Amino acid sequence: MGKGKPFLEVLASAIHEDYRFPFLEIFAFLYALGTFVFASFGVSITAIGATSQAMATANEVIAYGAVSSILSLPLLILIILVFKNIAYGLGSDLEKGIIQTYFSYPLKRWGILTAKLLSALGVALLLFLGIQISALYILAPDIILPQLGTVFLTYAASLSYPLLIAGIMLLLTLKLRRGGISLVVGLVLYFAMSMVSGIATIFAIFTENPVSLQIISAISPSLVLQQYYIASLGDFWAPALSEVLLYTGVSYVIVAAVFALGYTYFSRRLNL
Amino acid sequence: MKRWTTVLGRVGTVLIAISLALLLVSLIPQIQMSRREGSGPLSPGGIRIVFNQQYLNPQQEVQVAVTVEGTLTVYLLEMNVEFQFVNGTFDYRFNVTDLQELLQEHPDRVIWEREVENGDYEWSYIPTRVMNATIVFYNPSDSETAYVEYDVALKSSLAPRDKVRTIAYFAAPTGIILATPWFLNVWKQRKQK
Repeated sequence: MGKGKPFLEVLASAIHEDYRFPFLEIFAFLYALGTFVFASFGVSITAIGATSQAMATANEVIAYGAVSSILSLPLLILIILVFKNIAYGLGSDLEKGIIQTYFSYPLKRWGILTAKLLSALGVALLLFLGIQISALYILAPDIILPQLGTVFLTYAASLSYPLLIAGIMLLLTLKLRRGGISLVVGLVLYFAMSMVSGIATIFAIFTENPVSLQIISAISPSLVLQQYYIASLGDFWAPALSEVLLYTGVSYVIVAAVFALGYTYFSRRLNL
Repeated sequence: MKRWTTVLGRVGTVLIAISLALLLVSLIPQIQMSRREGSGPLSPGGIRIVFNQQYLNPQQEVQVAVTVEGTLTVYLLEMNVEFQFVNGTFDYRFNVTDLQELLQEHPDRVIWEREVENGDYEWSYIPTRVMNATIVFYNPSDSETAYVEYDVALKSSLAPRDKVRTIAYFAAPTGIILATPWFLNVWKQRKQK
């Protein structure tokens, strides 16, 4: 048996467990419907007036507004799917001893975890981004094609924090060997961010000091991106594109570090 | 069951789910945002602005219905015209000279141009980006007055209905073709059990 075959076996088994019929179809239906229902070009129009103080051009603001509008509820649906896959998919495999069966395959441990994450995260992200970007292209090709950079940057900035929580959940699930608690922690962390960023925003506006927002942007760069495109918090913080890219890069370094910890724990410390 | 049958089958069922969502989107009725009706003569070489929208977005559609006696050129232009107060009435700050200048110097701003003569006509337009839009009637005749009756409606929808429906009509049968072998296999396996 070649090296690729056991990897495909684990991947196929993980996909089969994570996306039982008709869950994948229901999520695809919700993403497609949600994208059109939540798409709005109106928000960006009011923002065009603010471009004089923001750093972006009007077309970039329109593209950013359109992507932000379709990210609202569909992103929450994606997060629920990913959290469910990691907490319950991996958690139940650990609880039921299925992972031990995988360990008997001629495959390194990191290969097994990669297959599980490809199913839990990769397929979910592929479905989500594929449907959303295609739907945006159907709606407004002349906004999306010339502003592909803005579209991808908005997705990258918005997905960074959910991916960080997914990484934390992976660590927790591996440590506790069950998914229930890590799922609760993941959901609490996700909703806590909106409260923390709200407090940080009030603090920054009153003190006219963006430090609190800059700290949060390092783990949730959608905040710096919003300030770059629509400057909704005022002119005390006018980040340049390089600053947005820096914060997004830093956030992904943190995400990569958390996943690397997960891989290290799974490969070296996980005793079953 | 062969793995490829399962993969293609699930791709097919996802395609069916997406096309159902698209069909549902196309069935949600449009909302009328504004409507402008009017009629009257248009003198030789004269123009009339019948529609002006500062921001027309891809979720909006302009529907134009015109009945003409005489000759008329209808322009959909990508521009915004301002209102001004002249001789006790409000009117657009745009005249024949401005139109001719725009046609010569900025032909890229003409989204479409229709020459019509004695009859009923209907058009619609859905933009693919956020833009300004103005519909102008122009009587190109040197001597004949044109009589025009028009109805311009601005409607809002979730997505361009025809485009979305066409994609659904292609995606659904493709999905059914891909999913059928998988469904048959699953059914056979259940029957055996």
